[in-house]
Amino acid sequence: MKRTIVLGAALSAVFSLPLAAQTLNVVTAGDTNMVDYINDYLGPLFEEQNPGVTVRALGTGPGDGGSQAMYEKLTAQKDNDVWDVDVGVVHQRMAGQMVSEGLLQSYRDRTATDELVNAANAENALGVDVSGYVMPMFQSQIAIAYNPALVDNPPQSYSDLVEWAEANPGQFGYNGITGGMAGVGFVFGWMYAFSDMAETLINGPFDEATPASWSPALEGLKAFNQSATITPGNAGTLDALNRGEIAMGPVWMDMFYTWVADGRLNPELQLLIPTPGMPGQPMYYVVPDKAAQAELAVKFIELATSPEVQAEGIVRRFNWLPGIDANAVKEQLTADEWAVLFTDVTPEVLAERGMSMPQAEYFSAILEAYERQVSN
Amino acid sequence: MKTTFVETAMSGARHLAAQVLPAIMIGLCAFVVFGPLVNLFMWAFAETWFFPARYPTEYGFDFWKRVFRPRAGAWTSLFASVWIALATVGLSMALAVPAGYALARLTLPARTLIMLIFLLPQAFPSLPIFVNIARMFYGLGLNGTYIGVVLVHSLPGLVYAVWIATAAFAAVDRTMEEAARNLGAGPMRTFQDITLPQAFPGLIAASIFVFLDSIDEFTGTFFVGTPDISTLPILMFNASMGGNYQIAAITALILLVPSIGFMLVIERFLKADVLSRIGR
Amino acid sequence: MSDPLAMPKPSAQLRAMLPGLLLIAPAILAIALLYVVPLVRSVVFAFVDADGGFTTAHLATALELYRRDVIFTVLVALASLCLIAVISIAIAGYLTLGATPWAVTVLRWLYRWPLFIPFIVAGQTARSFLARNGLLNSLLIDSGLMDPATAQSLLDWRGLVLTFAWKQVPFVTLLLAGAMASVDRSTVEAARNMGAGKLRCLIEILLPQVRGTLSVGLILSLVTIMSVLSVPMMLIAGNPTMMTSMMAHRVTYYGDYAVANALGLFSYLITVVAAFVYLRMTLAQQPENGR
Repeated sequence: MKRTIVLGAALSAVFSLPLAAQTLNVVTAGDTNMVDYINDYLGPLFEEQNPGVTVRALGTGPGDGGSQAMYEKLTAQKDNDVWDVDVGVVHQRMAGQMVSEGLLQSYRDRTATDELVNAANAENALGVDVSGYVMPMFQSQIAIAYNPALVDNPPQSYSDLVEWAEANPGQFGYNGITGGMAGVGFVFGWMYAFSDMAETLINGPFDEATPASWSPALEGLKAFNQSATITPGNAGTLDALNRGEIAMGPVWMDMFYTWVADGRLNPELQLLIPTPGMPGQPMYYVVPDKAAQAELAVKFIELATSPEVQAEGIVRRFNWLPGIDANAVKEQLTADEWAVLFTDVTPEVLAERGMSMPQAEYFSAILEAYERQVSN
Repeated sequence: MKTTFVETAMSGARHLAAQVLPAIMIGLCAFVVFGPLVNLFMWAFAETWFFPARYPTEYGFDFWKRVFRPRAGAWTSLFASVWIALATVGLSMALAVPAGYALARLTLPARTLIMLIFLLPQAFPSLPIFVNIARMFYGLGLNGTYIGVVLVHSLPGLVYAVWIATAAFAAVDRTMEEAARNLGAGPMRTFQDITLPQAFPGLIAASIFVFLDSIDEFTGTFFVGTPDISTLPILMFNASMGGNYQIAAITALILLVPSIGFMLVIERFLKADVLSRIGR
Repeated sequence: MSDPLAMPKPSAQLRAMLPGLLLIAPAILAIALLYVVPLVRSVVFAFVDADGGFTTAHLATALELYRRDVIFTVLVALASLCLIAVISIAIAGYLTLGATPWAVTVLRWLYRWPLFIPFIVAGQTARSFLARNGLLNSLLIDSGLMDPATAQSLLDWRGLVLTFAWKQVPFVTLLLAGAMASVDRSTVEAARNMGAGKLRCLIEILLPQVRGTLSVGLILSLVTIMSVLSVPMMLIAGNPTMMTSMMAHRVTYYGDYAVANALGLFSYLITVVAAFVYLRMTLAQQPENGR
């Protein structure tokens, strides 16, 4: 008697399996907080709205290395009919490469939130046309974090920073170019400030002869490095700030706020963006070309880019800058909640000094020039 | 009288030195071994820890809750890690026992070269290798399967398995085998009843190293296993690289449990005469 | 076995080897399919240019940009191996010859712990332990052993060497202590009766007999040090750093497998040199085995 019931239950479980077996694989580059965001907030919300669906989140590692890992995973299964990634969250540079290699599908016009996307970097990723293939999850910005207890009068421009670093040897720290994008972004900012060609670096066109003209800027950086501390990685800079080993250093604003919210970072630390500016970049939602659950994936991204989710998840929970039209998100929040985003850096400063990364060829050229002339 | 006193004092001092010196040495060793581990332990419970405080200012279990909330999948990953490690031990030993026997007992061409071939997978940074293996496995449908993950895990551990198994078989007393053969036992019977039991402790030692190697493998699992199969190092890697010390420290402590458990069970199988022959 | 004076015919020789070859075939096959094939597929890129022709440009780039890193890797590996050898010999020697039973027991229990710590955890705990304001310095300052002003960060080559040693010493000690325990005690006893000190017994009697085991432990440690990525990534800021770090950098920021693989070749070269030294040693040591 009992056995038949168990058997019946097991059988019905098996037969109901096809309905329940829809698994949406969301693979995200970036820190653990990206995985947490899917696991704790977006995943459960989506499962609630779509009974029978399981959202499975997986992190590929922080920084561009995480995006590179996802790219490897997709190219490795290029010849298969169905791929095991449904929704990807990637960095800007890799999104461009994936689009030009045909690894992604164009999906934006299939979402209802299409017209809420108004950022320029949703159309163009470091010189590659990605229009239709990506939707920004959030916008991120590199800024200089400093400890007010150690710095009374923080420098407001790159030139002032050079003087300050000379006067306070070892007190400015950044992670070079091998340890993560915060350091890379600081170097890009340096090039924007001292190469006299910020506009060209960002928009192109690329000219192979240009890198030769960077010598003065790079020599300056080499001299600057003498009085700077090199830290191990994005997290290493925050660490060193935390332990009081350095007084200033470039960090990702979103990472900074997450650490503070977690109690992992001294909340007294503050942020600033020196002139002429520092680069930022969005994280993109993408759908791989042969995703097993493409329809579901689009639905998931639609939810993720809705004003309600952007307000609750991106702004309220993480203090990140929204990926879609800011005005649409602002309506969902109180003035105070919105203002938290701009505690240290005002919207005006952000608009003026938040710059784009260089276009892809200059991106690599600057890094390689740095390796040849500064770190060698 | 005087001399006796001096002598007593001398021997007392010598006695003291004989006890104190080892104590200092042990203390130093304990500090070196456990200092970093204590650091790890403090991070696992530290809720706030930043300059100028030299030690955590707040302790708690918040991060433990985060690691063990059902959605994070720590338990599933732990079981997957242990199960994969055990299967890897099985596969590696299935390959290593015959190979070790042949290397220890039978005539082989270029024996040293063969020994070195097993060393090489440990020597090359694994990233490009695993990217290529993933490419092959996707074609074979092995990606996202336990078989695929176990296959890539058994590779780096194979050097330990084969080298130690070879040593284990070389240490087996041949006269007993010969006696068994003289009494009419067949070669399989002799192997099963005489050789294998004697080599067993060494084979267990080999499996410890295979197990430890598998349990903290990251790159191969990432390319071949995910997203269907996730292990603890996959969970930990993000936290660790992203500087989330608490999460990484907690995951590391969990990871220690099966390793130490395995070691404790198997400790008594480590025999000196086998260890002395490894790699020869 | 057979008469050593009679040269067996090739076919007979082959037949004698057949059982051995059959037994070892599965393991070799596994290495070939899971390792050699992917390796060849990846290393080829180090020598192929954009048009598919042969080139040494990638090797040249690797040397030009990362020469210092190659040298740094060799030096760090050598320093680590020296430290590992010295500490392992000391611990294994004490375990074998130590006269204070409780100390021997405690030490035997103590030294193995780091063996179970994954590298990624070792790297992570070292990063916060060895920093300028890390736990090590904090403890030293609080116990009055160090002046706060002289505190410095160990997160450079020293941190690498210390972390590698911390992780690998238990492994080498485990092998070495096993080998020493199986050495015939009578020679040691005889030497002790003649009045030789323990240190002399260790260096002149025990050590020569376990040299082979020591070199095996060290070569296994070397290949491990050459291939670990997480420790240098977490400890070392900027350049020079370990080659694995630069390989990962090349792949992450440029998607450039060619130069990364060219760097990998250097790592192989170092291993091959070490393996060659090891081979020379074992061949010189075991003529009686006829292998």
